[in-house]
Amino acid sequence: MNKLTKESLDNIAKQSRKEEKNWIKVGMSSCGIAAGADEVLKVLIEEAKKRNIQVNIKKCGCVGMCSVEPLVEVNVEGMPRVTYGRVNKDVAIQILEDHIHNHRLVNDHIYDIQVKK
Amino acid sequence: MENKIIYVRDTGLVSPDRTKDVHTLLLNGLRDRGMQASVQAVRVSDIGVYNQGVVIKVLPDVTYFNVKDEDIGRILDAIKQDKTISELASRREPKQLRVVLRNCGVIDPESIEEYIAHDGYQAIKKVLFEFKTPDKTIDEMKKSGLRGRGGAGFPTWMKWIFAKQVASDQKYVICNGDEGDPGAYMDRSVLEGDPHSVVEGMMIAGFSIGATKGYFYIRAEYPLAVERVQKAIDQCYEAGLLGNNVLGSGFNFDLEVRLGAGAFVCGEETALIASIEGRRGTPHPRPPYPSVKGLWDKPTVINNVETLANVPYIILKGGDEFAKVGTQTSKGTKVFALTGKVKNSGLVEVPMGTSIREIVFDIGGGILNNKNIKAVQSGGPSGGVIPKDYIDTPVDYENLQKLGSIMGSGGMIVMDEDDCMVDIACFYQRFCYDESCGKCSPCRIGTTQMLNTLCKITEGLGELSDLDNLRRIAQAMQRAALCGLGQTAPNPVISTLRYYEDEYKAHIIDKKCPSKKCRNLLTYKVISEKCKKCGLCLKNCEAKAITGNKDDGYIIDMNKCIRCGRCFEVCKFKAVSKE
Repeated sequence: MNKLTKESLDNIAKQSRKEEKNWIKVGMSSCGIAAGADEVLKVLIEEAKKRNIQVNIKKCGCVGMCSVEPLVEVNVEGMPRVTYGRVNKDVAIQILEDHIHNHRLVNDHIYDIQVKK
Repeated sequence: MENKIIYVRDTGLVSPDRTKDVHTLLLNGLRDRGMQASVQAVRVSDIGVYNQGVVIKVLPDVTYFNVKDEDIGRILDAIKQDKTISELASRREPKQLRVVLRNCGVIDPESIEEYIAHDGYQAIKKVLFEFKTPDKTIDEMKKSGLRGRGGAGFPTWMKWIFAKQVASDQKYVICNGDEGDPGAYMDRSVLEGDPHSVVEGMMIAGFSIGATKGYFYIRAEYPLAVERVQKAIDQCYEAGLLGNNVLGSGFNFDLEVRLGAGAFVCGEETALIASIEGRRGTPHPRPPYPSVKGLWDKPTVINNVETLANVPYIILKGGDEFAKVGTQTSKGTKVFALTGKVKNSGLVEVPMGTSIREIVFDIGGGILNNKNIKAVQSGGPSGGVIPKDYIDTPVDYENLQKLGSIMGSGGMIVMDEDDCMVDIACFYQRFCYDESCGKCSPCRIGTTQMLNTLCKITEGLGELSDLDNLRRIAQAMQRAALCGLGQTAPNPVISTLRYYEDEYKAHIIDKKCPSKKCRNLLTYKVISEKCKKCGLCLKNCEAKAITGNKDDGYIIDMNKCIRCGRCFEVCKFKAVSKE
């Protein structure tokens, strides 16, 4: 990264603020990793590639619901933002197939739904 | 009609969980109305409300509590017509407010670009190019009323102004990330989830007091936090946000990470300074306070992780905006690590003045296994217990102090009826005994004596005079110990004695533990009327303390019994009593 100046700081902010439409975030703090977030992230990346699903898979910190880690937040255009908890390998694949591909939410693993403003 | 989503959850406490049944009813109802293609019905695991029966939410913002099966048809009809049944619908304001955790779980902690996209480093820019002077920055902090989140609650702006007023060629800023209270991990989550906000907070603190050098003091038990903070610092150097001439403003600031070796006492500021200097981590008397004479005898500001994470928000949104939230004396929000016997353990951030009941029941979802709450422990080994009669108290620094506890760093451990208060006091005393550095005798000898006395009581060897002794030692430690650790170490004992003296007396006089927790005071007995003489208890007894046979029944010999509780657990007929 080039040295930032007052002006370029604002430019980066503006550029990066353009939100991507489809993304998945995996909580990768100590609590998430201890519960198996590493594996979930790996599965998501591999399976998305296999199924040719276009989605940006990212890491993030802990959102606070440590008792239901690993947490995976999913944003798909035209749908509310959903946080899945207690995600394992199978649920991760379900998220890719049902939620991202078919736009159907996955039962029994949702811990939070946010409506975009 | 557009594509809609409704979601459902049985939040009642009585089993069985009816979520699946109601979901099926919803699916059938949708099919009958020909809506299955346009409306999705989803079973969720948490709907954000608790103990309100079956809850159905219709996105975006309609919620129905205590839904009866016969109401489902009406609700679906209303959805079809895009209407709301107002007499059934309820609205609830969210209890949590995210200031410190604003970016945790939102941004990639290892990406400086994402932090910048979320208003990152705008606060330091504002300080350097708009405020231009430390006075204006400190003024903004004063307006905010932010108080230290590490425990004592000293106003942050005052600390800064003390350090600023001292003339010195070199000053330092230290971030205290030596979080050691059992059950507390807010600082770890902030450092792991949003390290850049703490870095920015330190830069602002540095500019305000005239420091050009800062240290992160993080315990080595937090390897991921250390890694991410180091990465954040490296990225900042690369981007010209650290080092000489920050953003071309002429302000110089350097940051470095120092690891703590895991001693609890090193969270105390004078011991922390000694540890950074490479000396043995023991405290020394104050004054002089670190803001006058700190690291390498230079003026030093030491702030907690959470305090620093608040700083960029305050500068950016303004001190007045920050101070709108909270109580008269405690402004802003507080992050709590909610643990213990609570359903949703985790981090919560609430405005100051939220009651413990709201935190435990409305956010935490209540007590595990539908037991009753007994008390909440706050402030770790320096705090105390708050009995259930006081859980409606709004949480702020003063209120907790009045109740004999402290805010501390924000650990909140929920206890149910099965927790013995003498045992809890013993646990915390053992922690302080282990962690006492031994430099001053009130703490070294006091913690040892108190621990011995408490152990004696839990073993059934206590005498009534022990209670007075505990109180006397506690008083001596509070007055004479050198640092915060020793002065506050008796707090868990004092507060449990204050609220639960009868439990202590039950241990001493009746030799009974009312919560059936203290092993040595338990008696196991076979109740012959209930016993079906199956022999399972005998088979499972490791200590061979059970004798008898399938004809005559079984007897437990308490002299041989090691009180492991195995017989009590395996008996299917509840024929083994534990008292």
